[in-house]
Amino acid sequence: MSRDRLLPLLGALLAVVATLVVATSPADAGGIAADDTGAPAFTATKTVTRSFFDADGNELPVDSRDVTVTADKTTELRGRERVEVSWTGARPSAGRASNPFGEQGLNQEYPVVILQCRGLDDPSLAPAQQLSPSTCWTSTWSQRSQALPDISAAWTHDHYASAEDRAATSGMTPFPDPSVCTNPTGFVTHLTPFVTAAGKTYDACSATGMPPEAAVGAAYPPAEIAAFTDTDGNGQAMFEVRSAIENESLGCSDKVACSLVVIPIMGLSCDDDDAACQNTGQFLPGSSNFANDGVDLAVSPTLWWSASNWRNRISIPLSFALPPDACSVLDTRAPTGFYGSELISQAALQWAPAYCLRKDRFKFQANAMPDEASFSLMENGEAAAAFVSSEHDAVGDVPVAYAPVAVTGFAIGYVIDRPDNAGEFTTLRLNARLLAKLLTQSYLGSDLGRGHEGIGSNPLSINQDPEFQQLNPGLDAISREAAATVLSLSEQSDVIEQLTSYIASDKAAMDWIAGKADPWGMVVNPSYKKIDLPTGEWPLLDDYVPTTNDECLQQNPAPYFTQIAAPVNTLRKIAEAILDAWPNVQTRCDRATPGDPWKLGRVVRQGMGTRFMLGIVSLGDADRFGLHTAALETSPGRYVAPDAASLAKALSTATRAEDVDEVEGAPPVLDPELRPLTLDQQTLRKAGSAYPGTMVVYAAAPVSGVSKATADKVASFIRIATKEGQKVGRGTGELPAGYLPLSSGGVTGRLVTQAQAAADLIEAQEPIATPTATPTATPTKKTSPTKVVTSGQTNQTATAPAPVAAPTPEPTAPATKPARGKDEDVEAAPVPMPATQPVASPVADSLLPTLLLVGLGALLLSGLGRVRRIRGGGA
Amino acid sequence: MMRGSRPLRLVLATALLALVPAMAAGSAHALVPARTTYAQIEGSGSTWSQVIVNQWISDVDALGMRVTYSGGGSSQGRKDFANNVTDFGISEIPYAGVDELGNPDNSNGRDFAYLPIVAGGTAFTYQLKVGNEQVRNLRLSGETLAKIFTNEITDWSDPAITKDNNGRKFPALPITPVVRSDGSGTTAQFTTWMNAQYPSIWQPFYGKSSFTSYYPRKGRAIAAAGSDQVMNTISGFAGNGTIGYVEYSYPVNKHYPVVKVLNKGGYYVEPTQYNVAVALTKAKINNDPSSQLYLTQILDGVYNATDPRAYPLSSYSYMLIPTGADDQRMSTAKRQTLADFMFYSLCEGQSKAGPYGYSPLPLNLVKAGFSQLAKLKAADPAVDITNRDVTKCHNPTFVSGNLARNHLAEIAPQPEACDKQGEGPCGYDTGTAPTTATTTTASTKGDGKGDQTDATTTTNGGGTDPGATTDPGGGSDPATGEAPAAVDPETGEAVGSGSTQTAPDGASVQSGEAIYANPITLSSSRPGDGATFGWVAVLELLALVLLPGIFVATRRRRTSGSAR
Repeated sequence: MSRDRLLPLLGALLAVVATLVVATSPADAGGIAADDTGAPAFTATKTVTRSFFDADGNELPVDSRDVTVTADKTTELRGRERVEVSWTGARPSAGRASNPFGEQGLNQEYPVVILQCRGLDDPSLAPAQQLSPSTCWTSTWSQRSQALPDISAAWTHDHYASAEDRAATSGMTPFPDPSVCTNPTGFVTHLTPFVTAAGKTYDACSATGMPPEAAVGAAYPPAEIAAFTDTDGNGQAMFEVRSAIENESLGCSDKVACSLVVIPIMGLSCDDDDAACQNTGQFLPGSSNFANDGVDLAVSPTLWWSASNWRNRISIPLSFALPPDACSVLDTRAPTGFYGSELISQAALQWAPAYCLRKDRFKFQANAMPDEASFSLMENGEAAAAFVSSEHDAVGDVPVAYAPVAVTGFAIGYVIDRPDNAGEFTTLRLNARLLAKLLTQSYLGSDLGRGHEGIGSNPLSINQDPEFQQLNPGLDAISREAAATVLSLSEQSDVIEQLTSYIASDKAAMDWIAGKADPWGMVVNPSYKKIDLPTGEWPLLDDYVPTTNDECLQQNPAPYFTQIAAPVNTLRKIAEAILDAWPNVQTRCDRATPGDPWKLGRVVRQGMGTRFMLGIVSLGDADRFGLHTAALETSPGRYVAPDAASLAKALSTATRAEDVDEVEGAPPVLDPELRPLTLDQQTLRKAGSAYPGTMVVYAAAPVSGVSKATADKVASFIRIATKEGQKVGRGTGELPAGYLPLSSGGVTGRLVTQAQAAADLIEAQEPIATPTATPTATPTKKTSPTKVVTSGQTNQTATAPAPVAAPTPEPTAPATKPARGKDEDVEAAPVPMPATQPVASPVADSLLPTLLLVGLGALLLSGLGRVRRIRGGGA
Repeated sequence: MMRGSRPLRLVLATALLALVPAMAAGSAHALVPARTTYAQIEGSGSTWSQVIVNQWISDVDALGMRVTYSGGGSSQGRKDFANNVTDFGISEIPYAGVDELGNPDNSNGRDFAYLPIVAGGTAFTYQLKVGNEQVRNLRLSGETLAKIFTNEITDWSDPAITKDNNGRKFPALPITPVVRSDGSGTTAQFTTWMNAQYPSIWQPFYGKSSFTSYYPRKGRAIAAAGSDQVMNTISGFAGNGTIGYVEYSYPVNKHYPVVKVLNKGGYYVEPTQYNVAVALTKAKINNDPSSQLYLTQILDGVYNATDPRAYPLSSYSYMLIPTGADDQRMSTAKRQTLADFMFYSLCEGQSKAGPYGYSPLPLNLVKAGFSQLAKLKAADPAVDITNRDVTKCHNPTFVSGNLARNHLAEIAPQPEACDKQGEGPCGYDTGTAPTTATTTTASTKGDGKGDQTDATTTTNGGGTDPGATTDPGGGSDPATGEAPAAVDPETGEAVGSGSTQTAPDGASVQSGEAIYANPITLSSSRPGDGATFGWVAVLELLALVLLPGIFVATRRRRTSGSAR
């Protein structure tokens, strides 16, 4: 390609990109099948104030702001759903904490406190249904109760506080017994008790006075947040709501109304000139306090419950969805196990009750397992069907039909903070080469990685890579181990197959893997150089152990890059790691006490404001948890995020196996119309707006040899899943967000047709004609006798009559024969033939056809000669 | 088979299908049972049992229960439970009182009960390459394993390993044991076994005469946190020469080989659900309901089981459930969730133990587990535990009429002769197949073994009848209709029908020798043989193809000559 021809082309492309970025950008939550109306679900404006009062009671206004709060979703909420709360007009915050959640967020100044509280802010309601500080959830007691020397107890000077609340002990009447809650002399204690939905009161005086959900190290991180307002007065937070299922004490449900209480902290309004009360903060607006230094109590979130702050609140009423229908644990029908791809999990969860709750259906159960393992489980009859996303080689002799049941895919999920506390980054773009760099462990992680041979000058993490920086400007360049990797799967998966074929279809990425440096000089980790792609299982190939003076690392030498990558075995774990911003990097090396041995382990959660983590997630999980997903490059400069249109577009490029090339000698071959579609990444790239992570999930089942009962269940599952299971919604049997609904018209039409045909064939279970008679084996529950279906090809390894089935022709032998104490019998036992390695000779392989041809030719020649002779003789 | 009735069935099906949408709207909700009130429960602990616990958790999700579980190791699980951080813990071993670091290891006053949840085998998975080929049929005796993990045997070419593999010598390559860095029940199980069986090897290494949850990493050994990281370390490229211990499910799911461990019956066996079930029939379970250790295990009988099928490192995993009436974390809804989660897991959940690399609990333990769950009701009468019938659990160990028997142990296939000490070794893969009856019984049943496409267990060697391998799956017990019958040594011999066992012993030895019993260091290719056999093959092929033609041609010439 000549350069002068390239340049105008580039220009044109750039122009296209510019328009596209605007069009496709926020690869935001809410994705595939959800509808976004645009208007916020809640918006309200309130004037919030702080004043000082002189001895005569004259008000001296200190600050006044008109704060407008909006929320994107307030109804039909489910547990762990994230509500985006944003605001304008608030006082700029100062002293940002690295983690604003729970008690970690207390040492900040002028933040906006957001709490989930039971009850509504409606004076017309009965007191029990109204919210108050004692119905607001906090995950620790220190966010509720304070005990300070009276000189620092600023709240006793709160102008709006009642006389009782200024007393030496306050907040609860009667105040708990000193044996439970001590108040040393010279101290002032204020409690904000917590009242559970069941009516039980916890004094919150110490950790033992808190409800069980507030245990230290609880399963879910705190949701309540002291969020940061930027210097323009704007801010935004994703608030994870908890339903009664996650937090029984708080108890928000479809029957119990709750609110999000937003309190812009303005500082205490003081009754007198008490210094502690009149403090205005130690930090500059927009500054950080990552050292967690002390702050001025009067302007901190610690006193959110004080009358001065509480009166400034803005309450967002929430309503929760009916809990989804659930199957009963007492249902004694045996479950019908479908095994396989995790991509289907979110859909299967909503589908399951639509089966078990009806007597005329069966008990459907989806089990997550590596695609390949589930396929063989299905083939030998242990699983009714396998969920897979690509064609797998059948080893049995019964053809397998593939019925499409869902269109979904994978995404690169991420959580990335913009620098200077400017909020979350939501427009990540990645290309195949960047993914290759992450997967091949070519970022160094930290200076420990510098010693690795051949790549010592590579960037430490992706955010230091100029290629990444050009694509995603405006991010920090602080190196992090977590940003040197993308959390991936340790086991075989069609997702990895698809991801790596996306990389394999990109010339720049493959050139780079082959050893060519990128324009900035970054080279591939030699351990992964020329790795064969695509692959269904990503190997851990690096064995570099850094040399260091660190005592802990010296005692625990381990391959460093493997510890950084630390893949896990389910996509769900990856989604939750991103949700919690908790990388799976295993490089924490410490010990509990100096007497304990040094241990390696998982690093801690990332701090708010500096989060940076990537992972491979299913689109279903991404939508369920509201994770951001990256847009992937399809053609130079064009980035496509997963959404309904880009999935549909990708699907439209899919071809039938036959159309691409001959299918390799899998013995049982069905009509291409019953086999998986091929999503060729090259074709897909040419389509431009097609999302490369698109995947179809198939229910695969044998068309013969399965019991009628099981076959009927599989067929009925396919029919139900592709019909009522494709109605988008959150109800029982419906299709959740993250999936492209199938319909008989349009681009998914052929999938529906295929599903129906496959269902019919699976249901029919026509016996397969067997060319050779089955020897002894009596088909048990699954017929897979030893017969050879050769589809016209000779077995290359020539080990021939294929599977060795075998004896035990022992129909009468009770299976339960005691075997103990019969060593000599055992010795005399029929000795099975251990399998041998196939011995194949390449010479013979290549010679055989030639020789056969020669032989054939010779035969023909001699035959011809004879005919000629005969003719000649006859004439 | 049902061909005749097909049109009728189609008509019926269509009619039913037409009805379905009409019924869906109206009746679906009518069938909804009264909803039980559930609240989320949280747990932590063992990674040994985490694979199946995670699957149970996602199963009960569909039943309306929310359960969270984090696998930080058994020690962490016991600690979290004691500190009231969790609603349940999972651990392979009971509270020890004081742990090896001198820290308290008790429930801190919290009332609790032990509940066995699943059985399994602690497997030894490894990466060992000969040439470029991963060895997949390594076998080791307990003593060799103990010496490997105490750094006494440090090289794969060690004579002890060669001996275990019946003369098959592996390349000289240092052994890197991979152990757990966190407080682990897997480590505790493994070291308990070493401490009981090989005290003279283990105790000098550890310096104490007890088990430990924190493996004393020394020398070349690598320590990793959690079973999945052990698995990553071993399967990584740097893993050549590594060996580590994890529950069997980890290598099974990753298609990674496991060591066949020598049992006291003289056979090298793999921790399949059968071999684990057989071994655990020898476990001594504390049967005193008044004891705090009720239902916990003493495994010496398992270690010493002489059944040729028994896997010596088999054990149960336990849940700690809070039984106090005034437990500070528990509420009615949480107790109900815990009771129903465990009811599901002990009952239906056991049926998938095999496919995931575990072994289901026998019915007597399930029943005892139910009695432990009843303590939740004792603590809170509002908990509903009625209608939970053990016999309707679809538990594969179930023998009607006798709860104490274990069907799986009874149908467990006998090991093959090539797995016997001094024989073999068998050539096929370990740790790769879903451990179900149809696939792992003797592991040579060709039809169902998905993973054997690459492993090519097709046994054409030795010039014997290609059908001449045992297939216990062939003739299944019609009564069970589920799992195939075990190979019975006597019967196999007795029948000896022409098509099957022609020369079993000879075949085995021959092929064994041909491939493995070569007491020299193996390499991936055979330079000497290759050329010779190549030429022989070429000649043979030439002859095969050309001889008939030549024969025909000469004959024809003759006949035509004579005709003329």
